[in-house]
Amino acid sequence: MQGVLGAFHELDAAVSAIEALKKNGPGLIRVFTPTPRHELEEAIAAPPSPVRRFTLIGGLLGVTFGYWIAIWVSDYWPLVVGGKPIASWVPYTVFGFEVMVLIGGLSTVVGLLINARIPRLTLMVGYDPRFSHGDYGVWVECTPEKARTAEALLREHGAVEVRRER
Amino acid sequence: MAATAKPIPARDEPRRPNIASADVQLPAVKDFEQVDREIVGTLHPTVAWFMGLGVAVFFLLIGIATWMYQIYSGLGVAGYNPPVMWGVYIITFVFWIGIGHAGTLISAILYLFRAGFRTTIYRCAEAMTVFAVMTAGLFPILHLGRPWKFFWLIPYPNWRYIWPQFKSPLVWDVFAILTYFTISSTFLFIGLIPDIAVLRDRENISPIRKRIFSVLSLGWRNTDNEWRHFARAYLFLAAFSTPLVLSVHSVVSFDFAMALTPGWHTTIFPPYFVAGAIFSGMGMVFTIIIPLRRWFGLKHYVTINHLDAAAKLCLFTSLVVGCAYMTEWFVAWFSGNEVEQSFFANRIWGQWWWSSAILYTCNMILPLTLFSQKLRRSPTWLFILSFTVNIGMWFERFVIVVPSLSHEFEPWQWTSYRPTWVDYGILLGSFGWFSMWFMLFIKQLPVIAIAEVKEILPPKLRKPHPHGIDSTGRHFEYEADTPGEYA
Repeated sequence: MQGVLGAFHELDAAVSAIEALKKNGPGLIRVFTPTPRHELEEAIAAPPSPVRRFTLIGGLLGVTFGYWIAIWVSDYWPLVVGGKPIASWVPYTVFGFEVMVLIGGLSTVVGLLINARIPRLTLMVGYDPRFSHGDYGVWVECTPEKARTAEALLREHGAVEVRRER
Repeated sequence: MAATAKPIPARDEPRRPNIASADVQLPAVKDFEQVDREIVGTLHPTVAWFMGLGVAVFFLLIGIATWMYQIYSGLGVAGYNPPVMWGVYIITFVFWIGIGHAGTLISAILYLFRAGFRTTIYRCAEAMTVFAVMTAGLFPILHLGRPWKFFWLIPYPNWRYIWPQFKSPLVWDVFAILTYFTISSTFLFIGLIPDIAVLRDRENISPIRKRIFSVLSLGWRNTDNEWRHFARAYLFLAAFSTPLVLSVHSVVSFDFAMALTPGWHTTIFPPYFVAGAIFSGMGMVFTIIIPLRRWFGLKHYVTINHLDAAAKLCLFTSLVVGCAYMTEWFVAWFSGNEVEQSFFANRIWGQWWWSSAILYTCNMILPLTLFSQKLRRSPTWLFILSFTVNIGMWFERFVIVVPSLSHEFEPWQWTSYRPTWVDYGILLGSFGWFSMWFMLFIKQLPVIAIAEVKEILPPKLRKPHPHGIDSTGRHFEYEADTPGEYA
């Protein structure tokens, strides 16, 4: 992986650099930011996160499993309580709900880990500790031929430091 | 993740103090560097912290020694007096579960409602939830005659071919609490990841600590891609936690409401328990956060405006709980049920009058002082009140458990109950256990969410704009703190 990294002190400078880079298209853009900002989100215009699908599928699997195990166990060891049916869905709703939340919540975390590609053992090329502190970083993944254009654009929009990385 | 957006007046419209958004702002926090320096600076251990931890561990050891004695001697040493076979352990179990609820309310429900004042107090409240549930989970086990058999409540294939009874509220309880603990601790950890990355990047002294933070941060790099999925996952976890927190204490209330015992068999219990839980948790939040903001020098993060807003929530839940108490009295009278009426008379004017008096004074009368803005904005009063709320809510559970069991249907069964030193020892141990985890937490991980605080600060701009940044058409305005006091 090779490309150019620009570090910015100011948010609006980073936003305008991203917009310019997107217009000229020298390569894939990755932004480092100490905190999520709507301005950056809109400049990058990434598609909605697919984490929601993990949540939905996990929740549905959880509620199904919750009802299933309660009903199966009741049939396996039939015991009439208070004249109610062996498999009483009303009290089992409590159990179905709890397992839905449990599996749905955990699958949301799995969705986060898969999509955000964490955990990772090494920090990616271009990462700098100042990006968790207060500065914004714009990483452009590009070939050496296009790097010159990217560098020029980053400097033009106020990058305090521009460097090539590989 | 923090709430930032608010409407702005037109350019020529006269400015008015924005009291509604005062609890969002941190006027004494100037930039990101200050946030990192001051919050990370709280992590250095001090002599006072070691002393506090020592006291917590001492109380915990008392609890452990008492439990050992109880295991050796049998449950009879614990003050049970048939038919009062639920006592201090179940009371304290419900108390600690309730404490946890305010944490989830602040971290999840107020997040969904975009309540700004949660930003600087939610981390403490969330950690409080996890440790309170860890404490509560011990009590059903302590209450067992053979605690080593606790796993019989979990459905797993076994040689006896016997499965738990899924129609029993006790089994619902096991799942509700395990789910609550799992989701709360997951929610806490996920929220901590970006902050642990800050600790990793700032740690330049100890390579061991740096390595630990590197592992715990999961290699977090603050990329737009990570934040995008993080924000979505955090939102869904908050959305799951919201009904979960309401369900958990409802399920705990079913432990009582499903029984035919007078005072328990009522449909008001689930909302009554949930409101009481949030009320007691708000009390504990004040007990924790007020000394912390002072000792850690974080008064300009947890401002008077934040405390004021949290006190309003405390007042509201107190009113809901008070309404539930009055509804209980009314239903007992209106039902025409003699057993229920006799039980309530005994609870209020009979042998348990003193516990009811403590309960009503602490939970209904004293919190009314929070109608006064001056008292809501007084940390000293809030701290004192938080103790009375904690005491009042413990006695609420006492009044629910003991008077009902000691005054059931048959007069010949009517009896009394007196906890023994074993009960008190284990109760003390539970506070030691909770405090020990909390003390360890506050010196290892940030008590205020660094990334979220940075979100509510105005970002550095190349070209300052009167209404904040306008490069994407959004306006995040920064106003002076109102009504003006922050320390």
